[in-house]
Amino acid sequence: MSWVGRSIRRVEDPTLLRGVGMFVGDIGGAAAVRFVRSPVASGLIRAVRGPAYTIEDLDADGVGNIEAVLHRPDYVRLAQPLLARERVRYVGEPVAVVVGDTAAEAEDLAEQVELDIEPLPAAVGIDGALAPGAPLVHPDESDSNVMVAGEMATPGLAEALDRAHAVVDLEIVSGRQAALPLEARGSHAVTERFGGRTTLHASIQAPHMVRTVICDLLGMPEADLRVVAPDVGGAFGQKLPLAREDAIVVWLSRRLGRPVAWIEDRSENLMASWHSREQRYRLRAGFDAEAHLESLQADVVANVGAWPCYPITWGVEPLMALAELPGPYTPEHYGVRSRGVASHTCPMSPYRGVSRPAITLALERLMDIAAPRLGLDPVEIRRRNLQSDFPHTSPTGLRHDEGTYREAMELAVRHVDLGAFRSRQHVARAAGGPQPGIGICTFSERTGYGTPAFAARAMGVTPGYENVELSMDPSGYVTVRIGASPHGQGLETALSQIVADEVGTDPGRVRVVASDTDRTPYGWGSFASRAMVLAGGATYLAAQQLATKLGSLAAEALEAAADDIVLADGRATVAGTSVGVDIAELARIAHHHTQRLPAGATPGLSVQAGYDPAGTFSNACHVAEVDVDPDTGGVSVRRFVVVEDAGRLINPMIVDGQIRGGVVQGIANALLEEIVYDEDGNILTTSLMDYLPPTVAEIPDIEILHLETLSDATVTGAKGVGEGGTIGAPAAVLNAVNDALAHLGVELNEMPATPERVRAAVRSATGTPAGPTN
Amino acid sequence: MKPARFAYVAPDSIEDVLDALDRFGDEAKVLSGGQSLVPMMNFRLARPEVIVDIGRVGGLDGMSVVNGSLTVGARVIHARLEAPTGAMPDGRTEPLGGVLGSLLPEVARFVGHLPIRARGTFGGSIAHADPAAEWCILARTLDAEMVALRRGGERVIAAADFFETVFTTALEPEELLAAVHLPILGDDWRAGFCEFSRRAGDFAVVAAMTAVRLDPATGAISEARIGVGGVAGVPVRLPAAEATLVGEVPGAEVHAAAAEVAAGEVDPAGDLHGSAAYRRDLVRAMVARALAQGAGAPG
Repeated sequence: MSWVGRSIRRVEDPTLLRGVGMFVGDIGGAAAVRFVRSPVASGLIRAVRGPAYTIEDLDADGVGNIEAVLHRPDYVRLAQPLLARERVRYVGEPVAVVVGDTAAEAEDLAEQVELDIEPLPAAVGIDGALAPGAPLVHPDESDSNVMVAGEMATPGLAEALDRAHAVVDLEIVSGRQAALPLEARGSHAVTERFGGRTTLHASIQAPHMVRTVICDLLGMPEADLRVVAPDVGGAFGQKLPLAREDAIVVWLSRRLGRPVAWIEDRSENLMASWHSREQRYRLRAGFDAEAHLESLQADVVANVGAWPCYPITWGVEPLMALAELPGPYTPEHYGVRSRGVASHTCPMSPYRGVSRPAITLALERLMDIAAPRLGLDPVEIRRRNLQSDFPHTSPTGLRHDEGTYREAMELAVRHVDLGAFRSRQHVARAAGGPQPGIGICTFSERTGYGTPAFAARAMGVTPGYENVELSMDPSGYVTVRIGASPHGQGLETALSQIVADEVGTDPGRVRVVASDTDRTPYGWGSFASRAMVLAGGATYLAAQQLATKLGSLAAEALEAAADDIVLADGRATVAGTSVGVDIAELARIAHHHTQRLPAGATPGLSVQAGYDPAGTFSNACHVAEVDVDPDTGGVSVRRFVVVEDAGRLINPMIVDGQIRGGVVQGIANALLEEIVYDEDGNILTTSLMDYLPPTVAEIPDIEILHLETLSDATVTGAKGVGEGGTIGAPAAVLNAVNDALAHLGVELNEMPATPERVRAAVRSATGTPAGPTN
Repeated sequence: MKPARFAYVAPDSIEDVLDALDRFGDEAKVLSGGQSLVPMMNFRLARPEVIVDIGRVGGLDGMSVVNGSLTVGARVIHARLEAPTGAMPDGRTEPLGGVLGSLLPEVARFVGHLPIRARGTFGGSIAHADPAAEWCILARTLDAEMVALRRGGERVIAAADFFETVFTTALEPEELLAAVHLPILGDDWRAGFCEFSRRAGDFAVVAAMTAVRLDPATGAISEARIGVGGVAGVPVRLPAAEATLVGEVPGAEVHAAAAEVAAGEVDPAGDLHGSAAYRRDLVRAMVARALAQGAGAPG
């Protein structure tokens, strides 16, 4: 029986559940670093007084600037200093840094630092940053706040819209959200007294990339910096880009010759880490008489904050929207303009799902709004429009491998029993009180893409491949060294299942080493729903090589043909016989009796493999049932159903966990979490009193069903699944809220759908304040 | 997120607590359950020089019934009010009856989350005086009496005089809130409580408590109390809305009319969690629902 496909328990869990994990904050023995941050959104730095290191100290040491580059003519290039130089550009931007013996003392010291800043007007929201005469965020480099502007159109778009049977216009707004990992960011650096080598432990997703950029900034060889991501308490994209703070922590440890640590607190994390998602989409869609979406025109604006993130740049949100907007649909004509607009707000990084929660909200609201105008229900309009011929090539050239867009929706609708729901809804509408609503969302999730996809973005550095080194030691145990950097996803468990099947051993005899630049091959880390496809694919290929080596060893030992050797249950046997040898015995031979190796064979059992696929598309259908209280605007999610097709499931339990966590963040995006700035650029949501992640009380049980269409674009047949939950849930919930209030004429296309926004939509639709419910 | 430097004293008698408060005055802050004070210190929004921890003092965590009122000791944790009991004059401890006996559990479940209810204290919440805190709304609506001790003295402060503005009470720096007297409310009273918050366990955006006394002969309302939190710096009573109820028999239309007056009677300020207009809408809904709940109808 194969190990792949089984929900074996996660090897990661005992450590975490017993509370014996090692996070950056657990390392200790270091002086405390505290950053002095700008209290204003925009201003000129006149002076910094007090016991702090400033940009002058970094400059004097020759520390360089961060350059996050896209090679595009429409992209504004900047050199970003590690501490603010001359100007501050958002509340929370680091201006100076202090070091104290304890965190409390460092905070005392930071209070003594006096920032003399001449405040300037700030550009805050999308409209504020785009307005004529808006304050410029980078006036020396650009005469507008538009930092990247992509545009494309297929021929004949305008004509297609003109002749459409029905045209639907729609604007959707996505509020600013923060990834909010349970563990905020942090780093700890020690420089050896002799030799001067530095070890950085940091809560990050891509240790090798972080080593490269920090060494570039500080002018040191990469061999002199070891970067380790110990246990990481959630990341979700927020810990993918370089943290300016981490580079400064390395610099401080080298300059001071003492261990230093920066443990970000929750307020810093909310104010000055990375945000995401603040976007506006305007769609014009043309449908033919059979309700086919024929033409789609979009104008997308993403607020990208004050600085780009390295190495992903501030093109990530707007350009992903441009490339992937048609989603699971097949418009023949597509045109889009997508801009990234700088503002005096916290910079943006990718956050689980990146632009696709908003893309999906736009498309799925479009379908629900178009359906009644075309005389259809939400299921039928999707049935007529979802991809069903594979491979499908999108108007922007993306190849969609085979999926189950329609099948997933049909299964989800049967599972929830839509007919029974409509009967309940009918009764509730007559009775008044809380109103039930149901929302459907279908979407595609582009996952597991390597160098080809990243190269198309023309980044200053091109991420992509993953390498794996795999060796069997003399005891017969396998060590897998990966460039990916799992941080809670369960990748170690899943990889051990892949290896166990290929090598004929037990997952308990497989160890995975990750997240340490001294002990792993160069790789890109864990993000973009890629690790299972890429690190999994490379592991699969390497394990096949190891199996080949073991097969030839066994053939030699058993005097059989290599093709006849079967590796299973810890034994190498000759097919169809009971003649065999323990794999552990082969491991001994390979290391300790190399005189018995086949001629020309290398001693030992080490192999390596790389993998770099073009990418694959997962798909899913989410269905949300909500109750909406028209008098308060309060929304309760009563039921949530996911039908997911992520290709081959290596460990279904782990996949379910990925989906559930993502759905919770998606529900948060739809209803609760929003980073809010006032018009002067002051951030108002700097604690968990004001920024509201859901609690267990706000989340229903999440029911998950699987379809399993093996990908022809990956060697394992697996597709990525890390982001789907966050992508689909917001649109499902918003569609459900709209469905609940449809009889009142409500149309609400902004998320989060806070109670106040829902209530305002009810008031606006009904024209008068709704009376109280008794 | 680390507190500024402070001194810490933990006396083991009331006398020593009062001495410490007398000595340190407004440099001191009383620590009870710490569920509000400690986070505020970590944010450095509160910077007391001296923390006077009353956790070792006996005699502050009792509940007793005397002369139709329940005396709740300042250090009674929220969780005990989910199933309130009281020491009777004869020394027995019994489940608390009366309308208050049913109202307290109904309100207690809205106070924070289980860990907060297991540590935070009734007196701590009253003395902290968050205008949206459930116990402050209850104290104001029921005209509770606060017992304040100081070295060599004691005074009783009416709820109407106790809450002054946000996080500010009539307690002097040298005074300790020792207990709160709550009326038990006889069988002729009907009470209800309704709260809207963004998430389970959050402070209310708006919450309303209502208590009406019915004339046993006519069934009409002879006395009415409506208290609302989340619309001002302190929990407020709404006398105009209360007046519309007096003389009326409870019912949907009567409740709706009172709720409409209530919505017009408040003058909330807007903030991140709700504009002024939205809070008025919530006052209308919460008051109507609290009245309906008190009348035994579904909300």
